[in-house]
Amino acid sequence: MVVLENDAFLTSLTLMYQKARLHGSVRVTLKRYDGRTKPVPRVEAAANKEEPEYSCIFRATLASKKISTIVTANALSEFQAAFSSTIRSNMDGLKKQKKSKGKRKSKATATQ
Amino acid sequence: MTFIKSWEDFEKAAEKLYLANPMKVRYTMKYRHTDGALVLKFTDDAVCLQYKTEVQQDMKKIDRFMINLMRHMVSSDK
Repeated sequence: MVVLENDAFLTSLTLMYQKARLHGSVRVTLKRYDGRTKPVPRVEAAANKEEPEYSCIFRATLASKKISTIVTANALSEFQAAFSSTIRSNMDGLKKQKKSKGKRKSKATATQ
Repeated sequence: MTFIKSWEDFEKAAEKLYLANPMKVRYTMKYRHTDGALVLKFTDDAVCLQYKTEVQQDMKKIDRFMINLMRHMVSSDK
């Protein structure tokens, strides 16, 4: 698992999406992250004093290639806008739904 | 686990699951360009919610949901 900077993550993610155009699928996971890399020790779990600072971790997978990035609260709005536009421009294989108005009408008339 | 048919049901169930235990849940979206399909999964390793779409229009809702989720995740309240 490679932890990247936010910008580098998005660039790599775009590359992943382009690679997956022919075959394969890209998986992006989002999870809350409190900065721990080790399990909570039992003693501390009982005490549980201070609130950790939360951020979120993004992971992306294409076949065996894995990348990840940690987005802090300060960087969120910037990252979120960039991320949205990245996935929007890359997930363009979805169908455009046609307005079903005409279809529904014809169905209705057929059943009448 | 089967797919949830309606987006509203998925969104509601996901929100409930997240609020029950914010540290435990993860949200995954899998996109297959060759199939033109996007599968969303929301799980805390006990309950698993899935939603599948092939329609472009759903992207808007999904995007809004994700932004909401991110905001919740970085905010300090439980």
